[in-house]
Amino acid sequence: MSDLISNLALGFSVAALPSNLLMCLIGTLVGTLIGVLPGIGPLATIAMLLPITFGLPPVGALIMLAGIYYGAQYGGSTTSILINIPGESSSVVTTLDGHQMARQGRAGPALAIAAIGSFFAGCVSTVLVAALGAPLTSVALLFGPAEYFSLMVLGLIFAVVLAKGSILKAVAMVLTGLLLSMVGSDIETGQSRMAFDIPELSDGIGFVQVAMGVFGFAEIMRNLEQTESREIVQAKITGLMPTWADLKASAGAIGRGTLIGSVLGILPGGGAVIAAFAAYTFEKKMAKDPSRFGRGAIEGVAAPESANNAAAQTSFIPLLTLGIPPNAVMALMVGAMTIHGIVPGPQVMTKQPQLFWGMIASMWLGNLMLVVINLPLVGVWVRLLRVPYRMLFPAIVIFCAIGVYSLNNSPFDVVVTGLFGLVGYWLSKHDFEPAPMLLGFVLGPLMEENLRRAMLIARGDPSTFVTRPISAGLLAVALLLLVLALLPMLRKQRDVVFTESET
Amino acid sequence: MSDQTAGSERKGAIRNPRDFFGGLALVGLAAFALWASRDLPGMHGFAFGPGTAPRLFAGLLAVLGAAIALVGFLTDGPPLERFYIRGPLFITASLLIFAAMIRPGGLVITSFVSIVVAAAGTDEVRWIETVIWAAVLTLFCSLLFPYGLNLPFQLWPRF
Repeated sequence: MSDLISNLALGFSVAALPSNLLMCLIGTLVGTLIGVLPGIGPLATIAMLLPITFGLPPVGALIMLAGIYYGAQYGGSTTSILINIPGESSSVVTTLDGHQMARQGRAGPALAIAAIGSFFAGCVSTVLVAALGAPLTSVALLFGPAEYFSLMVLGLIFAVVLAKGSILKAVAMVLTGLLLSMVGSDIETGQSRMAFDIPELSDGIGFVQVAMGVFGFAEIMRNLEQTESREIVQAKITGLMPTWADLKASAGAIGRGTLIGSVLGILPGGGAVIAAFAAYTFEKKMAKDPSRFGRGAIEGVAAPESANNAAAQTSFIPLLTLGIPPNAVMALMVGAMTIHGIVPGPQVMTKQPQLFWGMIASMWLGNLMLVVINLPLVGVWVRLLRVPYRMLFPAIVIFCAIGVYSLNNSPFDVVVTGLFGLVGYWLSKHDFEPAPMLLGFVLGPLMEENLRRAMLIARGDPSTFVTRPISAGLLAVALLLLVLALLPMLRKQRDVVFTESET
Repeated sequence: MSDQTAGSERKGAIRNPRDFFGGLALVGLAAFALWASRDLPGMHGFAFGPGTAPRLFAGLLAVLGAAIALVGFLTDGPPLERFYIRGPLFITASLLIFAAMIRPGGLVITSFVSIVVAAAGTDEVRWIETVIWAAVLTLFCSLLFPYGLNLPFQLWPRF
């Protein structure tokens, strides 16, 4: 316990340095901005800003990038409430009740509760990251290649189970990602694989290119299909402060949302989007009168907003302790760390304590900044939304193009990004989720390396994965999850067949 | 992407065309990967060769792709969604132009052209506004990236 306090003290001494405070402020402001603007997510923004961080010290760079991530969760809620357009996919559920509240003239309390819930969740999850960091790191040191492989299998299964839509298709997407990650050079022999003698491919396909393509550009292509219709609540936002009754009604929801969000954030494949959905559904099931939901229930704002913020922060835990990114944004953080010569994993905490704890402390400070700075800025954010999409998207395109190009000064990278934009557009037309593919793509090289090592150590005997207890346990959980997720689907399929044979 | 028209015509035959053609495309991708990794050495003894993992994953993907196509053949699903040409066409064109021009053309001219081409991706494009907006954005980029962020960009064409 005293360790925890002294560690946090170290963290705050790092995070409170003026330069780091500035980075944190820039990160949270930029994050809120992109959270407010629909059509550009935290993933594309972090990818775009990666080149900027080249010149910064590693701690400052990571503080800023982390700020973008949780700032975006926050900004997304503002637009959900005010104009019924979620700025981020993690704020989709907030539109249900948040916008209804705004229509009833209660936009102020809705925004305030979102902020308070986010801040509370941020505080709790900061402590959680700090408290779980050390024990998980010591667990990680017990892991051999077989355990790492099984852990990643579990992570991918989580991503599959939690993805919306067909499980079969999600597994196929994971495999597609794994396959794409094989392009380039073999890790052990250095032999060129599936690179067709294209020199730019000898290092493999870049993660930023894939991510920006399937998330950034594909999203723009989809947005261009619909003509614009935005309805901004013009009513003045009066009385920002929620009433005592509001606070009492949402206190429980905030607590439960924080809990659900924290757990789902730690689990690989989870993250903010799923956390928000789960918290909302749970709250609706818990409620005495579920019919209030969708008509401006304040719990319907408090729970998902707390959950997505908690999840955004706890998803740093697997990255910082095990070196495994649990979702796509964290995968980009791996890229950012690698640029600065930091290998994510258990050694970060022991070798660079000021980085580890500084980042954690900055999360709390960042959350505080979000509440203090952003509530008064709501008016500015709303005005920004009047910028029409026809002007917004060319700006996003050119920033992304310049960002991708400047990573390696390579025009080829820009072409690859465009190609993956088309791939992402096609995937969305066939109801394939790009997120599991991206996770497979990121984990691919790590998985192959650990699979090969484990097999080598076991002298080619694949039973090593089930005879080593930790590995077997992880695989058992993965299998259980898969079965649980498949059961209702099979039953439904049977029902369909049954009804058809009747008619 | 040409399967779109074919799918909507044969809607009666394929009950879930999104899954059916999606699955087939994955089988195609897997077959391509198997072909592309055909020359890579595989297992030697109990050690993996460079080709083992790619073939393993490609094989699994082929099986799953086939399963998705089969499910798409046997169950009902939504019809194929329309592919819009204009947006993807101009966005892709904008990126290709950027890639082709940035080295010889310099940042200023390249950005301006790319922005205008990208802006043509929507039916709502207003040309005068676009040209002014492109000029403003170009100015912003030319200041931000080379000066603000100290990235090595060449502003004007080299002669």
